[in-house]
Amino acid sequence: MTPFKLQIITPEKTVFDGETEQIIVRTTVGDVGILNGHEPYCAAVAIGQMRIMIDGEFRRAATSGGIIKVSKEKTTVLVQTCEWSDEIDVERAEAAKAAAEERVKAAKNDKELLLAEAKLKRALNRIDTSNFN
Amino acid sequence: MKAIKRRIKSVGSTKQITNAMQLVASSKLRKAKTRAEQTRPYFNELYKTMCEIASANDDFSTVYTIKREVKQKLFIVVAGDRGLAGGYNSNVLKMAAAAHADDAEKPKIIAIGRKSAEYFQKRDYDVVAAFANIAEDIKPNTAQDIADLALKMFAEGEVDEVHVFYTMFNSTLSQQPETMKLLPLDTQELEFEGNMTYDPSPEAVFNRIVPRFTASLLMCAIVESYASEQGARRTAMEAATDNADAMTESLSLLYNRARQASITTEIIDIVSGASAQNN
Repeated sequence: MTPFKLQIITPEKTVFDGETEQIIVRTTVGDVGILNGHEPYCAAVAIGQMRIMIDGEFRRAATSGGIIKVSKEKTTVLVQTCEWSDEIDVERAEAAKAAAEERVKAAKNDKELLLAEAKLKRALNRIDTSNFN
Repeated sequence: MKAIKRRIKSVGSTKQITNAMQLVASSKLRKAKTRAEQTRPYFNELYKTMCEIASANDDFSTVYTIKREVKQKLFIVVAGDRGLAGGYNSNVLKMAAAAHADDAEKPKIIAIGRKSAEYFQKRDYDVVAAFANIAEDIKPNTAQDIADLALKMFAEGEVDEVHVFYTMFNSTLSQQPETMKLLPLDTQELEFEGNMTYDPSPEAVFNRIVPRFTASLLMCAIVESYASEQGARRTAMEAATDNADAMTESLSLLYNRARQASITTEIIDIVSGASAQNN
């Protein structure tokens, strides 16, 4: 497969800037795979796993909300957080999961519940992603 | 003479403190500068995407782009947690205070940094929220919380305009207080490949970007301000250290003169005593 330019940027740093053969990302409407020569495309990224293929092998990362934008010259992924599966601190994720579960139980109104659930979802996503190692 | 000696000692210990503060500020400044550089690409890309959507879809508008008659403003003011940074805190606070001089209503305030909170609370502003000690190690989540608060107030019509006041970092020697309108959003017309497909729809993607965008803008403002704070403190402390040096020098001169004068007087005493005996 022909490689194309990919940038993954978070508010804290540029996580990836290089070439990839394929990227599969979880958007709000489902998983979307991008290959070289994809039409210009823009979608919202949801909490989930992202896979990018380099030299025929997939690398996995846990992402949280953001957008993906495909243009002729490059593909850009802008997400709040992006952690490679081998960089996830499992202990911290477990702790975050436990804390989020507490908050789901303690939530007094819908908004609190929604926030707590999103937190839980992020923690679970990170744990799931780290399991692929 | 004893008083001068004591004075020299106290200036010396002050100098030690200012010198140490200068060194700390320099190293923090270096870190803050790299941080500021790292946060910019995300912000730039988001802004570009947002403008693209807005320019490609003329007919669309969201709650975040509609301009209303401005009755109540919200100011987000970013200042430091500590003083001793030259004019850094007062410059940005004064700018915020001057910005609403012509308005009938006092703006509501979201204060970032302890100095900012103190300033507005003391002057009876409606401080909606105050955040202290977050600037040094600002996380995207914290910025998101602040942005969400502002977005909510705007969307519910509680405020009609949101402005951010922060300090732009030009260089270690020059920091400029700046203001920026956060909401309603102003988007530029952009030329770009017009056949972009938006999934599921331009509006959905746009509304998704807005909270991220405001948060990242705030994050940039905070990181930029923090670098400015360290720069200002470094410069202020450098000046203080130099002043202390100059002061020690002139004081030692004074001390030596006094010492010499007293020795001279003593010699004159002895000599005149001796010559009186000889006569």
